Parts: sequence; structure tokens; C-alpha cells
Amino acid sequence: MTQKASVGTIRPRGVIRSPLLSRQTRRWLGAGITYLGMTTLAFFFMIPLLWMLSTALKARWEVFAWPPQWIPQEPHWENFREALTRYPFGRFTMNTALLVVANTIGELLSVPLVAYAFARLRFPGRRSLFMLVIATMMIPLQAKIIPLYALFHRLGMIDTYWPLILPSFAGDPFFIFLMVQYMRTIPFDLDDAARIDGAGTWGILYRVILPLCRPPLTIVVVYTFLWTWNEFLKPLIYLNDFHSFTIQLGLAMFRGRYSVEWNLFMAATLISVLPVLVVYFFVQKQLIGGIASVGLKG
Amino acid sequence: MEKHAISRRDFLRYAGLAAAGTALYACAPIQAPTQAPGTPVKEAVTIEWWTVSSEEYNEQVQRDLAKQFEASHPGIKVNVTVLPESGFQDKMTTTLGAGQGAPDVAFFWDNNWFPQALDLRPFIEKDNFDTSMYIEGFWKTRALWGDVVIGLPLGVGANFVMYNKDVFDEEGVEYPSWDVSTEEWLELLPKVTDLEKKRRWGGDRPRGPFRAIWFNYGARLYSDDSKTVEGYLNGPESVAAYTWLWDLVASNTTPTPADIEVLGTEGTGPVDLFLAGRLATATLNQGHMLNAVNAGANFGIVPEPGVPGNERWVNAWSLTCSIWKGTQHPEEAWAFLKYWVGPEGQRFLMENGNLFPSIRSVLHEYKDADKDYVQAFFKVLELRQVAEWRMTHLCERTVKRAIKDVWDRINLMQIKRDEIKAALDAAVPKAQAALEECVVRLGS
Repeated sequence: MTQKASVGTIRPRGVIRSPLLSRQTRRWLGAGITYLGMTTLAFFFMIPLLWMLSTALKARWEVFAWPPQWIPQEPHWENFREALTRYPFGRFTMNTALLVVANTIGELLSVPLVAYAFARLRFPGRRSLFMLVIATMMIPLQAKIIPLYALFHRLGMIDTYWPLILPSFAGDPFFIFLMVQYMRTIPFDLDDAARIDGAGTWGILYRVILPLCRPPLTIVVVYTFLWTWNEFLKPLIYLNDFHSFTIQLGLAMFRGRYSVEWNLFMAATLISVLPVLVVYFFVQKQLIGGIASVGLKG
Repeated sequence: MEKHAISRRDFLRYAGLAAAGTALYACAPIQAPTQAPGTPVKEAVTIEWWTVSSEEYNEQVQRDLAKQFEASHPGIKVNVTVLPESGFQDKMTTTLGAGQGAPDVAFFWDNNWFPQALDLRPFIEKDNFDTSMYIEGFWKTRALWGDVVIGLPLGVGANFVMYNKDVFDEEGVEYPSWDVSTEEWLELLPKVTDLEKKRRWGGDRPRGPFRAIWFNYGARLYSDDSKTVEGYLNGPESVAAYTWLWDLVASNTTPTPADIEVLGTEGTGPVDLFLAGRLATATLNQGHMLNAVNAGANFGIVPEPGVPGNERWVNAWSLTCSIWKGTQHPEEAWAFLKYWVGPEGQRFLMENGNLFPSIRSVLHEYKDADKDYVQAFFKVLELRQVAEWRMTHLCERTVKRAIKDVWDRINLMQIKRDEIKAALDAAVPKAQAALEECVVRLGS
């Protein structure tokens, strides 16, 4: 049933009716337009990935052909085989996965501890120390890499994974900052209540604070994964043995001195981004929620 | 019924412990294979060799070379580290900067690394090593640094113009001749340009001033004694070269720098555009030439356009292979270096890879030496090298950076043709200041 609204009269909320479309139809139409818009946007965002796939299936001369060809004249599936067999990509992937796991464990162990101390404990020099930790974010890796290399060389750790893992057990300053900001938003009354119930400092951290810190912990896990997976410079500098290389070093091997085999490079890159896409697919809800909540409460 | 043998929390705990244990185990340094009991102990010296994989020598060929060397030198082991081309620079700079962990033998392709290279003169004298086997131009530009021999030159490379014969045939245009001049070049390019239908350019642009074409005009950036810019940067030869560039840009027959940035291949030359038939001619090199051969392209080679009556120059290079000053095993490193860059090694890399050796006698054994394009490449190598001037004028890059504005403005057509001389005149004080500052720093 519809109700006509005359000019000049006040229409009560929720009773407006379109003369042509029912509520159900309007709802479907609205949803349809929304989905259509989002699908179109998603398609545009997918273009780079689709171009990668298209390039991966082309012969080399087709990559820069004019007019650009989305669908190769003849798909060269063997590019994927060539890309995966020219260098030991399985080994590189396993090496990278190992670093991801180790770094994630390191960050999860260290970041909450450090952040908890800065956010919840009172001790002299707390602010200065926190500023010092934050200040380390301002020094670019390129400026630190030579002294770091000299340090790890003296420790006999070059050509091992230690230089790539150990720093994560000291906590990444960005994650510490993020976690501190989040922990500061948790009411101190919870600590007091737990203390009255007999909990010590560790008990408060592990039983009260950490369970409430799922959003920033998700960010720590996902970003550690992404950063470790995509890291190029540090593995390059610290690793010598070809078989201990990571996936990004493997991808860089496709760039020759005088040219890049774009079709093979794209095939290998496409395969290398799959794990990242899969991880993002499964954790996107927590990741976006985490970033939003940290950002809002921080 | 028993619900759970292990709780979720316990599972996560054990999984974490297992992962940490695996990580710790994997971090242990790779153990050398243990020796079988009863075997006599023989001390072999291991040297570190860092290299890159490229079109001319891939990873496997270089590992085979090391094995062959080890077979003929039982007391020396070579630990081969093959690095990505794009990372070699960073890794070498880091280790040489740290003064620790640098390889015994490696490419020293960056001039900034030369002070860290071992002087090879005592070894050369001791072994009576014949350095005259190397093509003279490359020996002078890549092995000598002042009075010091800082390395041996591996392979040769050069820029030349490759032209697509199919495009020329299609347009009914004659192939460019060996002696093609800069003026003829400006007439030629529009004939093979077809931007409307095929989005095809006639050719590319020089990548910077004071390369081969500037030298062909007789232009120099500053005086030979590194004291004066006036009369050189803004001299008539330089003005003529810049004016030729202006005419080239105005002819609309070349991709813009932005086009090249997007469509080129990360500073290695527009080989992909050439192979796709979208550049009728392109300034490429011997690595690209091999790409073109593999792609079955129908092409020819000429040097970069010259100026009638003037000497013809070429941008050519070789890779300096050196021993690190901090090596603990200089004798063994020298044994490997002279094998790798000597006749045996370069022949091996030529026959099993695609190297064009820097040793003339070996170079002429090249498998396709009778092919036209290889003959043309050999001829290009005989031209005088721009690097001769560049290697003895260390401030060239600094001064060029100071005058980059003129280059950019011509490429953007922000200078009128008759304003070029004035623009160069205006750049002289800045260039002079850069030269004087640099000479204090690096010497003349």
C-alpha cells in the first residue's frame, strides 16, 4: 500500500512509499546498484593482477605489442613451468615461510611485553625510553645496514638466518607504538580488579590485557607476514648461500644485466603473491577491524 | 566418551614450540661435509667469488667454470655466490663499506670501489702475465686506475644502433649505412615513424649529453686539464650537438623520456619496444643483440650517427674483475682471477654462455663470427671509446649533473632552437663551480 504525500505536508518517517516500486524491489535495486558499483571498482583494482596473468601467458615480443593484447594469441602456459624450474622456487618459498613463522613468533613474544611496560607500568624514564624506541623508526634501514652488517659479521652470523630473525625478538618499534596506544585505551580499573583478585603483573598481562588486544595483535601478525615475505634488502645483504635465498631474491634473478624477461618474471611474481592474497582473504575482516579500532581508540 | 585428547591451548603451545625449534635448527650455519675416517687431511683454501647471473653467463655456466678451475687447482676451492643483478651493487657497497665479509674475487664494476681493489702489478710481474692479449681500449679503461692495475677486464660491450629490417622493407626505406650522419639520421627517422596506425617510433633519444654523439661532434664537457668549462660546454661543437638533439625531439619521431620510463626496461635500453616492432631503430647493446637473435628478429647494426670528417666514438665497456684488498688469500685469489678472466675462463664462458670476450684472439673464435651482425659488432668495438675520456676525468658526472636542467628543458621543448647557446652560456657558472668543487675532492 502506498501513501501519497501532498506538497507542504510533513511526512512521517518510514511511511514514504514510491508510487512505482515496492519496498522489496527498492531494496533489491539498491543492493544491485551497490554490488554493481563495487564489482566495477573491484574489477579496476584487479586490472594489475589480470595484466600480470596476461603477461605471464605471452611470448616475450607480445608484452609490448601495440595495440595491447589482453588475451595472448597463443597462451604460453610453459612460462609458469620455466619460471618455477629455472630457480629453486620451492626452496625459496620454504625459506621465506620459515622466516615468516620465526619473525611472527618473535614479534608476538616481544611486542606485548615491551608495550605493556610502556603502557601500564610506572617507572622512571618511561617517557624518554619510549621516545627513544619510537625515534629508531626515523632511521632508514639504508643508514643502518653497514653497521648492522659489521655487527653480525663479528658475531659470525652472516650467511645464517639469525640476522633476519633476532631483531624481531627485540620488538619492532612500529608495532610497539601501535600496541602501546591500544593498551592505553584499556581502563586501569580492570588491572585494579584483577589485582584485588590476586593476579600479579604477568597475570594481568596474560589474562586481562592480551585477550583484549586481539585487533593490534592481528595487525602484528599480518604485517610481519607481509613485510617478511616482501623483504629484499636484508636477505640480500645477510645471505650468501643460493639455497638459503628468499622468494624476493629469487624473483630478482629474472632481471638480467641487459633486460628483464617480463613474461617469466610475471609468472613467478603471480605465484609469489598467491600466499599473500590467501592470507589477506582470510584475515581481511580482522585486519580492517584492527586498523580501524586502533586508529579510533589510539 | 572422551572429548579431547589435547586442548586447543596445548595444541597451540606445542605448535609454537615446534615452530620455534624448527626455526632454531634452520638457523644453524650450514655444516661442511665431514671427512671419511682414515682419509689423509688436506688443507684446501676456500675463496669467495661473488658474481651475477646474466644473459652472457648464467648461474650454471659459472658454477661449471668454478668446478673446472677446482679440478685443475686441487688446493683451491671456490665458493660461488650468484647474486641478483639488481642487488649486487648494494651488497658489494655494504661489505666494502663495512670493511668485512667482502668477497676475495668479484666484479668491481663501480669506480667507487676501485680504492678497495688489490694492486695486481706484483702478481702480473711475477707470473709474466701477458696483459697485451686484452683489447687495448678495454684494458686502458677498465683495468688501469692511474698507475695501478686494479683488475682484469671480462667481456666487452658497446652501444650501437639496431635497425629493424622488416620495418624498413615495409616502408620501402633503405637501410642506414655504416657512415650514417646525424643529419641523415634526422631525415631517416620520419620515414619509418608511424604513430597513428602502429604507434611506432622511428628511433630513441640519447640517454644523456656528452655520450658518443657529442664526441662525434667534437664536443667536450670541459678542458682536458679539468680547469675550464667556458668554451667547452658552450663551445660551437657542444651547441651543434645540443641543437641536433633539439631537432630530434622536435621531429616527434622518438618516444618521450616519460614513454621510455613507462615502456622501457628499467634503464637497460628499450629492447622490448624494439622487439615488439614499435621502434624502427634503437640504441642498444650486445646483450640486447642476443635477445633479438633469440627472438628471431631481422635486424642490422650500425654505429651511432657520426659527423662527416670527425672521428667516430662509441660508448663501450668491459667489467672490471678484481681482488679485494682485504683478502686473506691473495695468491689463491689471483690464481682464480687470472683463470676466470684469462683466455681459458673467457673461452669457457663464450662457448658455454654468450660472453663476448675482451681477449681479441678468443673473441674471433666466436661461434657466429661470420654473421653480419657479429662482424658489425666487432667493427664497433674498434671505434674510439668515450670511456677513455671519462675514466681520466673523474668529475664528468658531477658537472653533468649540474647542467642537467638544459637537457631536461630541451627534452620538454621549453627552450627555443635559437636559445640553446644562451641556455648553455647560462649554465657555465654552475658547471664551473661544480668542476672546481669536484677537482678538490677527486683530483683532476
